[in-house]
Amino acid sequence: MKDLKTYAEITWCPGCGNFGIFTSVRNAIPLLEEKGIKRDNIVITSGIGCHAKIFDYLNLSGFYGLHGRNCSNSEGIKIANPDLKVINFSGDANGLAEGLAHTMFAAKRNQDLTFILHNNSVYALTTGQFSPLAEKGWKGPSTPRGSYEEPFNPISLMIEAGATFVARGFAGDVKHLTDLMVQGVEHEGFAFIEVLQPAVPYHKWEEYREQIEYLEKEPDTYFEAMKAAKEKHKFTIGIFYRTTRPVYHKELYGEYNPIKKRLSKETRIEKIHKILESK
Amino acid sequence: MDSNVFTFLVGGKAGEGVKKAGSVAAHIFSSLGRHIFQMDDYMSLIRGGHNFSVVSTSPRWISSHYMKANLVVNFDKRSCETHMNNIAEKGIMVYNSDEQELEIGVGIPLTSEAEKYPMKNLMYGVGAVAILSAMIGFKKDQLNQIIRSEYPRGIEDNIRFANTIYDIVSPDCGAKFPLEKGDKKRSIIPGNVAISLGAIAGGLDVYYGYPMTPASTILHTLAREAENFGLAVVHAESEIAVINMAIGSAFTGAKSMVGTSGGGFALMTEGYSLAGITETPLLVILSQRPGPATGVPTYTEQADLAFALTAGHGDFLRIVASPRTVREAYYLTSEMLDLVWKFQTPGILLTEKHLSESSMTVEIDLEKSKWAEPKMHKDGDYKRYLDIHDGISPMLFPPSNQIIKWNSYEHDEFGITTENAEMISFMHDKRNKKLETLIEYLKGLETVKIIRGENPTNIFTYGSTYMSVLEALRYGRLNPTTIAPIYLSPLPTWELKEFKNQDNVVIEQSSTGQFTKLLEEKAGLKIRNTIKQYDGRPFDPIELSNKIKEVL
Repeated sequence: MKDLKTYAEITWCPGCGNFGIFTSVRNAIPLLEEKGIKRDNIVITSGIGCHAKIFDYLNLSGFYGLHGRNCSNSEGIKIANPDLKVINFSGDANGLAEGLAHTMFAAKRNQDLTFILHNNSVYALTTGQFSPLAEKGWKGPSTPRGSYEEPFNPISLMIEAGATFVARGFAGDVKHLTDLMVQGVEHEGFAFIEVLQPAVPYHKWEEYREQIEYLEKEPDTYFEAMKAAKEKHKFTIGIFYRTTRPVYHKELYGEYNPIKKRLSKETRIEKIHKILESK
Repeated sequence: MDSNVFTFLVGGKAGEGVKKAGSVAAHIFSSLGRHIFQMDDYMSLIRGGHNFSVVSTSPRWISSHYMKANLVVNFDKRSCETHMNNIAEKGIMVYNSDEQELEIGVGIPLTSEAEKYPMKNLMYGVGAVAILSAMIGFKKDQLNQIIRSEYPRGIEDNIRFANTIYDIVSPDCGAKFPLEKGDKKRSIIPGNVAISLGAIAGGLDVYYGYPMTPASTILHTLAREAENFGLAVVHAESEIAVINMAIGSAFTGAKSMVGTSGGGFALMTEGYSLAGITETPLLVILSQRPGPATGVPTYTEQADLAFALTAGHGDFLRIVASPRTVREAYYLTSEMLDLVWKFQTPGILLTEKHLSESSMTVEIDLEKSKWAEPKMHKDGDYKRYLDIHDGISPMLFPPSNQIIKWNSYEHDEFGITTENAEMISFMHDKRNKKLETLIEYLKGLETVKIIRGENPTNIFTYGSTYMSVLEALRYGRLNPTTIAPIYLSPLPTWELKEFKNQDNVVIEQSSTGQFTKLLEEKAGLKIRNTIKQYDGRPFDPIELSNKIKEVL
């Protein structure tokens, strides 16, 4: 069994919430293997930001994309080879600012991916500017008088966009988060997992630990899920929504696989010959 | 006028079947074994306005439409006004006598006859086909057969209407333009179909696009053929998504292609640069229309050349090639797909509306298509960015028990992010080595088309303008040496050395002479004069031949 850690030097701040996510992924992989998902078939992507460093640390194949764009890379991977299980890491700026449209559309399409949103509510790597999930009034170098914008509610946003598995976890509860990740990857469809993840220069663990609550019951319907997403405070963790809907790649070509079943040059030429004959 | 060339022009409102009438005419000519060139001029609207289609035909290969037509059919008043000067000597203009009375031309009551049928607006195109058939001396049963296969909706009405028009035209103008037969029937396709089929032949697996004229019909063609060829064809939410999806697919080994025009490619440049550092094989079809910005959506220009050559931030290898003809678009697309996979870098097939959307009779030797095949990793521990002598790292795709990491940050050979000074320059050197390898490879391909002539002045041109130039030279019986680079990056300077101290003229469709500058800067050529046209319209061979005569 290969180690899930690479030789890369870890450069997250000591005590960073990203460590909890890193540990949860490393815990989840063997559990997924036990459930029959081969490690060789797992592919990761990340965008740019503190979240993305996980790409260098995890000894898994994948694509380290651009800021905000890795969700599209993930979609392209899944569309070309649906045998692959894609875990898409994103920060809240990567996925909900620069990459908002891509995240929304991946959910709309019910792409069969697991989207892990590292929610630290701040632009950490670029020195603390307010982010799409930052509280209104966040004072950062770009908003010295405090931000003027209300944060998104990522849970209701993703339910509305069309995600078919929507959950929130906490980097400080690795067991719970590991379980969410396993369920997310197993889920066929767009699985969105928001992870509350303190960036220690900007937030204290205590702020989180004091407020964390567990969702007592997984909502059964869309409207119950939306109600929970809207009414529960943003430190409520658990699975908010789970449903089934056809996944994008199967709508596109059924049980096919464009790479594995690629037509030979000879067959293609024959068919092209026929097309030209008819023109 | 070359007596073998016959030109048919049909004009009317959008929605009246103008383009369809042009394409039916083209098929009539090709059924006679003749070559055709069809250019459609249309406005960016859905109904109304003025559209026209010009089809020129000859028993020999013909590489442009002519704006002086032997037969002009106008559906409305606006068309008559627009095309008054497009009638060739001894040509005939047919006008709609329900809309106006003219001293010249042949008046046909198109509207009052069409109004007798429920699908009135769709009858005009049928009428144009009937007029053409009568004038080239087709018998009624030949006409009826054409109507049956080309206008299957409401066949009986169409045939009745076509016969009425035929009978009005025949007494005075029947068989006015008998056409000499050519040697054989050939397929007619537009450039974008040639590009689509070339890509499929070259191994295409996935195509991503966002609609933008004049590249949209590549998306449409491939979407239509997706099931037939087992392709994944996706219309994504933006060009940014398009290129990033394509890059994701390439990571799995899928031969990926995207298509767009200048504005869409502007959005893609971020991802284009990503393909550069991650060494992603990716083919972009960039079909130009007049810019900047929204520009003129449904017309033609060659002003994105400089953009294509330098697109994307940072140093990386960019391959840019431009097909001269519809037929070459097929071969070159498969060749470019092969090249981007051989050299693991992004490339652009640069073309124009004039090639993308104009149709030609083609003969394609399908066996000559290339097949994209990357250099693969054999065994042992895998490193994605392993440096070997030629800069090209062997590839491996997931699922695999090896770790395969592609990285947008500067990286080490394994693919992990680096800020190490030595590693940064090492990786630049590794990627830069590919240029030399590529140049050596290109020396074995046809990278420049040279047609030797007798005139001391040389003409340089590229892309679809080459076709206009060739037709103009033939029309004007001019014989300079014509040089058309197919590859623009790297520019095959090794083929151009001999022209350095000669007298050179450039013909291109850019107002600032981008191609001229490229030849001066990269090949050190002296360019005496540049013939430019930048009104969105392709060159007309007669006008162009006069311009060439002035500079020779």
